[in-house]
Amino acid sequence: MHRLSHQTKLESIYESYKLHLIIMKTKETKIKIPSSEITSESNYLNRRKLIQSVGLFSLGLGMNESSIGQDQSIDSLQSIKNLKYSTDEAPNSFSDITTYNNFYEFGMQKSDPYMNSGMFEPKPWSVDVSGEANITGTFDLEDLIDFNKLEERIYRLRCVEAWSMVIPWVGIPLSSILKKFEPMSSAKYVAFDTVYRPDQMPGQKRRILRWPYTEGLTIDEAMHPLTFMAVGIYGKELLNQNGAPMRLVIPWKYGFKSIKSINKIKFQERQPKTSWNISAPQEYGFYANVNPLVDHPRWSQARERRIGTGFFGAKQPTLPFNGYAEEVADLYTGLDLRKYY
Amino acid sequence: MLIPFAVLSLKSLGFFSGLGANPVEAIIHDTGLWGIRFLMITLLITPIAYYSGNRSIAKLGKPVGLMAFFYVLNHFLSYALIDQAADLGVIMVDIIETPYLIVGWGGFLCLLGVASVSFKRLENWFNQNRSTISGLVYTATILGVWHFYWQTKVVETEPLLYSAILTVLVIWRFKVTTNQVK
Repeated sequence: MHRLSHQTKLESIYESYKLHLIIMKTKETKIKIPSSEITSESNYLNRRKLIQSVGLFSLGLGMNESSIGQDQSIDSLQSIKNLKYSTDEAPNSFSDITTYNNFYEFGMQKSDPYMNSGMFEPKPWSVDVSGEANITGTFDLEDLIDFNKLEERIYRLRCVEAWSMVIPWVGIPLSSILKKFEPMSSAKYVAFDTVYRPDQMPGQKRRILRWPYTEGLTIDEAMHPLTFMAVGIYGKELLNQNGAPMRLVIPWKYGFKSIKSINKIKFQERQPKTSWNISAPQEYGFYANVNPLVDHPRWSQARERRIGTGFFGAKQPTLPFNGYAEEVADLYTGLDLRKYY
Repeated sequence: MLIPFAVLSLKSLGFFSGLGANPVEAIIHDTGLWGIRFLMITLLITPIAYYSGNRSIAKLGKPVGLMAFFYVLNHFLSYALIDQAADLGVIMVDIIETPYLIVGWGGFLCLLGVASVSFKRLENWFNQNRSTISGLVYTATILGVWHFYWQTKVVETEPLLYSAILTVLVIWRFKVTTNQVK
């Protein structure tokens, strides 16, 4: 009897050792999320409905069921896969991408944009184009985006808070939009605004940042082929929490540069003042290129946590320009990246 | 007092729609937040007992304080063992590069000292050094709130509120002790 339990014990130790080896092995090789783990979009919507019905029973628990789970009418988008600019890393699940967001217009918690963006109306949408360009004025979304020329690009996204995701965006290169307005040679920078609608974006009622949220790029960064204007994720239109109806994606810069729900584009000669830079200039520079060698004054940027790797996913090293150095490093030749962080 | 812990445990098992996309961060934030909240309650117990005239309330200080330590310990362990995968070298570098972690460490060490003297054998010592103990809890809470405040990106209500309450509490404590000396 005693012997038997001893043997069982040994077996269990061996089992746990094997498990340990498997975990170690998974850590060594890059973790690939099997496609079965990626939440399908229809599944996600069902889950959302479920949460909505649960919400009805949880009044008084601080849940606002009028805004969460509100069905947004989302259309499918036809696009061509751009393999040249896509990573072969496994994308994050639709549910990770749409429930874990920094979009302070809807609140400061990661789940706030998902919870509080139901009342936002991304349709119809118009964009105000002004400044140093031959063609300016107010344009409809369809004037800017050629929906017959959409591409899918799988980009890495690195947040300044040291976490990262892989996201299959649908959209078009920003340059193809900007060229339509014939920017003049005096247009050294392009500035962008997020729409200001405090009645639909509850986070804007508190002045935690300068509203409207403003971002900007040098004209060379804006015209770079990697710089992308996204209108969708996973072959569907963008959800409100991801910056519907259109948002920038600049994969080699920290996520806060990739401004969401854009309603103003300004071509200008002077470097635009950007929201995070105004809020804490020593922490968030105008360039904000992903750089493991330049730490945020309050935390290290050397490593990142890839969302979706669960409890035992080890942190991974952050790459210069988020792994896009080959494509973009020559934009910054001669620029001191420590000074111009 | 264990309800937040129970909720967090159930969430990590997938209940209440789970811990979300970043479970490690969720656990670290939640345990840290409740650690701070219980520390604040611990410090508020003495003035409440003082002004209400109900001395028996003061006895709650120790259990609530130990509960705060329980959350802070979990906060620290989830950072060290899960987030940093128990890699001492990596933890050292991370602490050097992250100033709010140094502050958090300081607070944790203060609490560790207090918690270790609440074992039976040291009870006498504990009774003789009440002001040292309370001083350590105060220091830990100040460092804890500082640690909390320092890692936020914008000015948030909760750390601001705790800072304000703490300021009043510190002034109150100094007034009381100087009165006693007189």
